[in-house]
Order: sequence, then C-alpha cells, then structure tokens
Amino acid sequence: MRNLTRLFGEVKRYWGILLCILLLTAATAGLGLPGPLIIRYLVDNLVERKPFNIPLFFGLYVGVSIASSLVGAGLSMTVTYLGQRFKYDMRRKLYAHMQTLPLGFFEKNQTGKLMSNITNDVATLDQLISGGFVTLVSDLVTLTAVLIIVFRMNAYLAAWSLVVFPLYIANYLLHIGRIKKRADEIREERDVMLGDLQEKLAGAMVVKSYAKERFEVRQFVGQTRNLLELNVDQGMMGTRMWTLAEFIGSGLGIAVIMLIGGRQVMAGSLSPGSLIAFTSFITGYLYGPILRLIQINDQIARTNAALTRIFGTLDTEPNIKDRPGAVALPTITGAVEYDNVWFEYEPGQPVIKGVSLSVRAGQMVAFVGQSGSGKTTMINLLSRHYDVADGAITVDGHDLRDVQLASLRRQVGVVIQETVLFNTTIRENIRYGRLEASDTEVEEAARAANIAHVIEALPRGYETRIGEEGIKLSGGEKQRIAIARAILSDPRILVLDEATSALDSETETQIQTALERLMEGRTSFVIAHRLSTIVKADIIVVMEKGVIREAGSHQELLERGGIYAGLYLQQFEVALDQQRAERRT
Amino acid sequence: MSNLGRLLGYLKPYRARVVLAVFLMLLVTASALPMPRITQYLLDVVLPQRSQSRLLGVFWAIVGLYAFRGVASFLLNYLLGWLGQRIVFDLRFQSYRHLNRLSLSYYDKRQTGKIMARVIDDINVIQYMITGGFVTLITDILTLIVVMPVVVWMQWQLAVMALVIVPTYVVVYKLFLKRIRALSVELREKWDALIGALQEKIAGITVVKAFHREGYEVDRFMTTVQDNYTLGMSQAKLNRLLGLIVTVVSAGGTGLIYWYGAILVLHRQLQAGELIAFVGYIGYLYGPALRLVDFNIQAQWAGAAIDRVFETLDTRPDIMDAPNAVALASLRGEVRFRNVSFGYDPSKPVLHDINLEVKAGELIAIVGPSGSGKTTLVNLIARFYDVTEGEVLIDGLDVRSIRLESIRRQIGYVSQESLLFSVTLRENIAYGFHDATDTQIIEAARNADLHSYIADLPDGYDTKIGEDGVKLSVGQKQRLAIARATLTNPRILILDDATSALDSETEAHVQAALDRVMEGRTNFVIAHRLSTIVNADRIVVIDAGRIVDVGTHAELVARPGVYKNLYDEQFRSAQDEALAAYLG
Ligand SMILES: Nc1ncnc2c1ncn2[C@@H]1O[C@H](COP(=O)(O)OP(=O)(O)OP(=O)(O)O)[C@@H](O)[C@H]1O
Ligand SMILES: Nc1ncnc2c1ncn2[C@@H]1O[C@H](COP(=O)(O)OP(=O)(O)OP(=O)(O)O)[C@@H](O)[C@H]1O
Ligand SMILES: [Mg+2]
Repeated sequence: MRNLTRLFGEVKRYWGILLCILLLTAATAGLGLPGPLIIRYLVDNLVERKPFNIPLFFGLYVGVSIASSLVGAGLSMTVTYLGQRFKYDMRRKLYAHMQTLPLGFFEKNQTGKLMSNITNDVATLDQLISGGFVTLVSDLVTLTAVLIIVFRMNAYLAAWSLVVFPLYIANYLLHIGRIKKRADEIREERDVMLGDLQEKLAGAMVVKSYAKERFEVRQFVGQTRNLLELNVDQGMMGTRMWTLAEFIGSGLGIAVIMLIGGRQVMAGSLSPGSLIAFTSFITGYLYGPILRLIQINDQIARTNAALTRIFGTLDTEPNIKDRPGAVALPTITGAVEYDNVWFEYEPGQPVIKGVSLSVRAGQMVAFVGQSGSGKTTMINLLSRHYDVADGAITVDGHDLRDVQLASLRRQVGVVIQETVLFNTTIRENIRYGRLEASDTEVEEAARAANIAHVIEALPRGYETRIGEEGIKLSGGEKQRIAIARAILSDPRILVLDEATSALDSETETQIQTALERLMEGRTSFVIAHRLSTIVKADIIVVMEKGVIREAGSHQELLERGGIYAGLYLQQFEVALDQQRAERRT
Repeated sequence: MSNLGRLLGYLKPYRARVVLAVFLMLLVTASALPMPRITQYLLDVVLPQRSQSRLLGVFWAIVGLYAFRGVASFLLNYLLGWLGQRIVFDLRFQSYRHLNRLSLSYYDKRQTGKIMARVIDDINVIQYMITGGFVTLITDILTLIVVMPVVVWMQWQLAVMALVIVPTYVVVYKLFLKRIRALSVELREKWDALIGALQEKIAGITVVKAFHREGYEVDRFMTTVQDNYTLGMSQAKLNRLLGLIVTVVSAGGTGLIYWYGAILVLHRQLQAGELIAFVGYIGYLYGPALRLVDFNIQAQWAGAAIDRVFETLDTRPDIMDAPNAVALASLRGEVRFRNVSFGYDPSKPVLHDINLEVKAGELIAIVGPSGSGKTTLVNLIARFYDVTEGEVLIDGLDVRSIRLESIRRQIGYVSQESLLFSVTLRENIAYGFHDATDTQIIEAARNADLHSYIADLPDGYDTKIGEDGVKLSVGQKQRLAIARATLTNPRILILDDATSALDSETEAHVQAALDRVMEGRTNFVIAHRLSTIVNADRIVVIDAGRIVDVGTHAELVARPGVYKNLYDEQFRSAQDEALAAYLG
C-alpha cells in the first residue's frame, strides 16, 4: 500500500492531464447513460405499438453513440498520452538516478537486472496507470451515477440487483493473495533469467571455448520452464477468478433481475422497456465497473513487485555525492596527498591499510606490486569512486570529500584497466574524452596514441563503427583508442592503469614518447607490470597487500636491493644473463 | 504472412489441445447465442402471458446458461494460457539454442542488448498476440459464422441492411493497414536501439564515470526514449482514428436497423422483442469488426516480432559440423597451418599464407606487434572462424572435418580478456569441467597462484563474484581464467596474453606451475612481455599477418629483425648505467 501512495505521488504531477481525463470520463459516462433510456422509449412504444417519432429516435440514438465514441476516442488518446509521458519521465528519473550511483552499485547488480528495471518494471507501471487507474476513475463516476439512476427508477429492483454483490467480494478475496504471491515469484524468476541471459550472451566467447553451449541451453531451459509453470499457474488462478466473477455478475445477476423484474411487470408496476433498460444499466454500467474494480486490484497486485524494485532503486542513496556546500575544485596543479588512508570494499576485509603518499604537482608516480595488492583501488579512491574509510586524500590541499565530484573527475583522466569501447564510430569513441573536441583534435589524439595509421587504413577511416555493423579491434588496438580518448580529455592528473599491457614493446615505446610529452607539467599515475614502462617515474611505489613497502626512484630502489630490485631482476633476467655473457667474452 | 503460418506450425505438437480449444471456443460462442432469444421470449411471451412458472423457467435458464458458459470458458482460457506459455517456451528455447550454435562472428557484430530483446521482448509480443488477439479473432469468426444464418433467418431484410455496412470496414481497414504496419516495424527497431544502448552503457559504466559523462548519457538515452514515445503516440493516434471510424459506422448501422425495424413493428410485421433480440445479434456482428481493429494492431506489432524471431532462427551458423564430421576422443595435439589465409571480412585479409607445423607437446610462442594477427591465428585453431584459404589441421585432419565439440573440449583457451560469470569462485573455475573434485579445483587454483587468495576469503571457494559478491582485480581474473583452462586437462593449451596483468613475481609463480601443466601438451603462448616466452621451443614472429621469422630465443636475438627490435626495446633499460653499477 505504501508503494501505491508513492505511485500516486508520482502521478500527481500530471494533474492537468488527470483533470482532462476526469472531465472526459465524466462526459463518457454521461453520454453512456441516455442509451438505455432511449431504448426504453423505443421498447415501450413498440410493445404498445404506439406510433412515435422514428427519425427523432434515430437522430438521438446515432447522435448519442457518435458523441460518446468521439469523447471515448479523446479519452483514450489522453490516457495513452498520460501513459507514454509517465513512462518517459519515469525512465528518465530511473536512469538519471542510476547514473548518480557509484560504481559499487553496478558491481552488486547484474546488468540484465538493471536493464529490466528500466524497461519492464516501468512498462508494468504504465499498464497499471493507463489501464487500471483511469478506468478506476471512470468506473467510480459511472457507478455512482448508475446507482442513483437505478434506485430512482425502481428502488426495489435495484436493491435486489445488489444481492449478488457479497459473492463478488468473497470471490475476489479468495484469489488475490495467491495471485499476488505468484506475481512476485514470476518477477524474481524472470530477473534471474534476464541476468543470466545477458551475462552468457556477452560472454559467448567463454561459453564457446569450453563447448558449453548445450549446458547453457539446459540451464536456460530450466529457468524458462520454471517461468512457464509459474505463469500457467498464475493464469489459471486469474481465469478462475474472472470466470466466477462473470458468472456471478452476468449470469446470476441478470437472472435475479429478470425474475424479480418480470414479476413486477406482470403486476403492472414496471414497463417492459424499463426492465430492458434496467438490465442493460445493471450489466453494462454496474457489474462491468465492479468487475473492473476487481481487475485493478489484480493489476495492483501484479504491479507491486515492479513498484518495489523501482522505488528500491530510487531510494538507493548514492553514498558518494557532493556534500552540502561542496565547492568546485579550481584548476589544480596536481599535488596529491594520501594521508594514512584505509579502505575496504567488504566490511572487515581492508584492502588499503594506512597508506601515506605525498605527490608533488607534475610528478610521475608509478605503482607496482603483486596482483591484487590494491593498485587499482588507490586510483579508484583518487577519482573518488569510493570514499576512504579512514584518513584522507587531498588534491592541492582540498579534501576530495569537500569538493564537487564533477569538478574533480573532469580534471582526472583515467585509462581503466579493462578497455571499454562503445558501439559507435571510432571518432565518437575517441571524442568521448572531450565532447567539444574538433575532428583535427581527435585525429591528433589518435596519432599520439599511435593508432592513427591503423584507423586510416580502414576503408571508412574514423567513421568505422565498432561492434554492430562494424569491426572488432584487437586487444592492443582497443587500448590505444582508450589512450587516445584520455589524451584528448586533457586532464590535470593523468592515470594509466595498465593502459599498455596489451601492446608490444615497440608500439609501447612510440606511445610512451607521446605520453611523456603529455605528462610534462601534469601529475600522472601509472600502473604497469612491464617495468621498462616506468623506470622514468619520479616515484615508484611498491605495494604489497594494501601497504606501501618501498617508494623511491628507480635508481634508489635498485640500490636498496629490496622487492623492486627483485622484481626488476626477475623480469630482466634474460637480458642480464645475456649481458653478463657478453661481458665475459 | 508466411511467417505467421510458420508460427502456427509451432502448435502442431499440441494438436489435440488445439482441437479441444477450438471445440471449447465453439461452446463458448454458442453459449452467447441464446441470451437475446431469452430476452425476446420474456418480452413477447412470458410478460404478456403473465406466467409465473415460465418466468421461473427464464431464471433457471439464465443461471444454467451462464454456469455452462463459465465452465467452458474457464477450461478454454486455461488451455489457451497453457498453449501460449508453451509456445513462448518453445520459441525461447529454440532461439536460445540457436544463438548458442551461431558462431562468434554473429556476436562480434551485434549488441548484446539487441540479442536479448529478441529472446525476451519479441517472444513476449508473440505470446500476447496468440493468446490475446488471435483467439479473439477465431472466436469472432466462429460467432460470425453462427450468427449470420440466425439473423438472416430472423428477418432477412434487416439482415441485408446490417450486412451492407460490412464492406466499409474492409475499405477503412485497407487504408490504414500499411501505415500501421510501417509504424510497428519502426517501433520494434527503436525499442531495440533503446535496449542496446542501455545494456552497453550500464555494462560500460566505468568509462561513463571516468569521464564524468553521466549527464550526457542521460540525455543520449532520453533521445532513444523520446523516439519510442513519439512513435508510440503516432501509433496510438492512428489506432484511435481507425477505431473511431469503425464505431461511428456501426452506430449508424444499428440506428438504421432500429428505424426500419420500428416501422416493421408498427406495421405488425415484427414483434418488439424480436427487434431487440435482432439488435442484440447485430452486436455480435459489429463487435468483431471493432475488435478486428485491435487485433490488427496487435498482429502488426507481433508480425514485426515474428519476422525477427525467425530471422534469428534462420541465420545459418558460419561454423557448423560437417555432416560426416568425426569425433576425436583424444587428440595427440599436432597442429598444422597449411597455406592459411584469413580475413574477418574476406576482402580484407588479416592473415596471409601462413605455414606452420607444430608437433605434439611443443611450446610455441607467438609474438608480434599489436594488431598483427596473433589472436586471429589461435582463433583458427579452436575454429572460432573458418579459414578463407588453405587449411588448419589437427592430428592431420582438417578442423572442418572434426566435430566442433570434440575440438573445443580438448583445447584450453584463455582469451585476452578474462570473462567471469556471476556465480561462485568454485563454479567459475569448474566451468569447463563441472564434475571436478575439490582437490582438482584447488590444484587448478594453485597452478594459477590463486589458492592462497581464495583461501583467505571468509567464504573461500564459495564466495560469489559480481552480484552479491566480491569483485576481483584484473590480475586475479586472469589467474582465474588460467585455472579454469587448466582444470579441463586440455590437449592443446592456448594462452592469449594471459599473464599481461600479472606482476613479474606472481607471473613467475604461475609460470613455474604452468611449466608443469604444459608438460605433455601442445601449447601456444602469446605474450608481449618477452621474459615470459624465452623458454619456448620455438618463437613464431608475426608481422602484418605474415610469419616473418621462426626460431628459438637465442637464434632470434642473434639476428636482426622484428624480434630483435622488440627485445632491444623492452630490455633497453636493463642495459643502463644504474644496473651496470648495481651488478658491479
Ligand atoms: N572479429 C573481428 N572482426 C573484424 N576484424 C577483426 C576482428 N578481430 C580482429 N580484427 C582485426 O584483425 C586484425 C588482427 O587482430 P588480432 O586480434 O589478431 O591482433 P593481435 O595480433 O592479437 O593484436 P593484439 O596484440 O593487439 O591483441 C586487427 O587489425 C583487428 O582490427
Ligand atoms: N569492487 C570490489 N569489491 C570488492 N572487492 C574488490 C573490489 N575491487 C577489488 N577488490 C579486491 O581488492 C583487492 C585489491 O584489488 P585491486 O584491483 O586494487 O588490485 P590491483 O593491485 O589493481 O591488482 P591487479 O594488478 O591484479 O589489477 C583484491 O583482492 C580484489 O579482490
Ligand atoms: Mg590479440
């Protein structure tokens, strides 16, 4: 119920449209009511065989019908408009909200499920709003009007016609609980299916490498079969409820009216035309709306799960956001300070344990260390994708938590470890770094990233699409596009997280020259396992299990003969052996 | 509409139920017929005769009629619900199975989200049409067939009047059909675009956030939503207009019948009750016409969906088992490239005339500049793509003549980008070999130097990855992918840049374990860090899609060439002064 009140809150905004709908509804209801009365006029005259003004009757009948279908069409257009508008606004709201949520949110939710939230759940709500809510209003109006009319026509008969009403309600109450429960189960199962489907389609490469196609199909069949059973069961219950409702309303109800009304006609207290009109009022305008009132309850039950999920997303507070009064970070020089930083992704499992590091503006810092030691995490903290648990990170003396997120990220350009390109042209992919960049600037960035010659060799050059209706790039080519994108963004602090791991040394060296030029005068953080990449760094930071074990220049660290020297020797063993051999000869 | 016929073919296995459903439809239709007659009887006979017992008879007749109708329609709806769900199931199953058969080139060229839309949304639309509109259509047709003679028999002049209007429907319908259809197709496409964009941007959220493009992305997404909105509105407008015309025509028709009927009644050629009953029946005629509009809309909408589902089902996989393909239970592991040329796009070759013979048990390293075709070369061994020219032979047999599954099961392939699924670590490692024992899984994790990390986690191997679980660092992911590949005990092991994200120390551990694992298998290793591959039996150097050199490390560094350059470049710093000083 709480969900519903909130939904009302969401719909309230469209009060203009709602008012329109209300008016049109009243008009439709109003135009529907004369129908049975006109028929009564006809029947009574015909039964008595009294001549009457036939053209007038014709005009009334056709006129009322046309008017009511015009108004009806108007109503249904307005309702559609409301529904579409609502979907539009709701999707915007959801998507915009998701975008404000930090990376942690996306790591904890499968892509497929988030998609379903924006597409399916919103569509379900629309069905409720344009399907149920509107008829609810119009039905309530009609119901009241008809009750008044039938009671004034013949109170005795009207009272009898309500006799079947309790049965209606009992029938509804009997079914709704289980329908609701099934609806929740269906949604859950559906989500699991969507989540898996998305993952397995995106991971087709792995599925195929292990020849697991049949296994995956079996898995999928299991899920869809569960869905099948749940759906059939829900359908069965729905059908049962509906059939009973129809029997009670149309069958029992009419029978009672004909019986009681028939007696009255025989007793002379009711005209035959009135009986016909009465029946059509009751079936068309009384039981119908009541039936639909049941329907809307059924719909609400089905919608509940969708509502819960939509509001669940909307209620997820971004735990990374501008605090009130956060200032915009002015153009920075790039001095970065990690001050006794602690951090954990999962409570109780610290990943960064008391790291302090001081970087002067313009310095190049390299992180090396074992896989999983927290290098990427250090970077994620710097762009404030997560907040430190203890200690502080400052940039130019500003604590990251005190400045506006946008102003920070705009000045920090990161090439992330796993390259992501989008399904658009190569040019647009590079331009993603700075949307207002000109074509020449894009091409320059590509040149600096040593990818221009590859792009230019393509028949459609920079306009080549990646992915759908386009080409796929090799691992190293993708990395170079990502580097071009970062170069173009022209950040104050440049972060390269293993941005060249898939490149051969020659290509890498060529890029390195361009990067060095770019890094001139900027602070940069470089993570690399190929140590030749980082020998020039001002500070090399060696991390191990979340702490800094060594820090210093290449030369200092080599002289110290610690972890770094060990790593270095290990990697260059081959070359060193050879050198020694050469020296000996 | 031949696709519609094909869709109906899916009903064939459930023939008995379909027949039963049609029979039930007949019952339901028939049960609607007596009601106007009962009214007539009441008006013309019971009431004028003031017969209490007949009135009671009317009462029970109505109750009985609706009870009968209730039972029949319950059975019918249940059956239809079942059939609809069943077709959804069959279609989904077939689509998904087929998608799994399609080769990688299919996935290369499509957005994941769009493929999803086909499996999910399109099929939903189809189900909706079958259980909704299609059934109504059949019921309506049945009603027409039954009611037509009844009205003609009741009063043929009035019946003729009523039927005169029918052609108007046909004309109006024809006028609108094309535009509705075009809109439906367009709407499906826009919906696809929406899903595609959504999937991509949610999956790539790290980049969106890294460049602070949240606002921009919202705007972009909203344009696709806007497109859907606009089209949805135009579709609604068209539908309503069509609906309006049809209602007006039927209202006019009914009015005329009342007019003429009233004259007949006044001239005592017709009973009042008869006229009311007649108009009741006419409702059964015009009702279907109105509903036809709705059905038409649904049908157009579904038509687009049906076409797309069958389009997927009709896409022939590029890579398929030849009819007489042999299953190789156990490979020796000899691999041979004979005059192989290949291009993803045949007009743009990536590999040129590759000749390479690899003996079982060899360790082959492949090096070369980025984009030179290394990944492509190994992709051909696992037959992810078929060669354009020449042939790839395993154990002397062309890969195209071997059962795909028997090749892939015996190849352990670690691709350049590691992909894990949102399940536990154990399930991820055991993905290629579900029946692995715990000891085997731990052994595989040890080989990849991952055991100590996993053992430290509170839930150990049962830790979930991704949703409701941890995220691994990239190096950890790579190691997991290596563990996964070694667990299957493959005859041929392919590592495509599989240790690029590992530091030298971890890599050395992994390498030591891999040296043991590689024993007795044929191995292909692609790596840019040359220290990884110096121990290879042979190093194959690729440049711009050609093999430019083959030899051992010692041979290759001794002669000028691509390899020597790469080597010098990478180890240049090793020759620097500091190091010399350090070495003393
Ligand atoms: N699926 C594909 N469709 C079309 N072109 C492709 C596809 N995959 C790769 N290519 C192209 O083929 C060429 C060779 O790619 P490949 O992936 O084999 O390179 P690579 O040697 O593995 O490079 P890297 O070291 O960067 O991974 C590249 O120019 C690439 O753009
Ligand atoms: N989003 C996350 N949620 C939970 N745990 C995480 C998350 N990201 C990383 N971790 C864990 O934190 C630790 C440090 O990860 P991080 O990515 O910083 O390592 P790294 O040093 O960059 O390693 P690599 O060189 O392998 O990329 C790892 O043990 C990893 O499993
Ligand atoms: Mg590659």
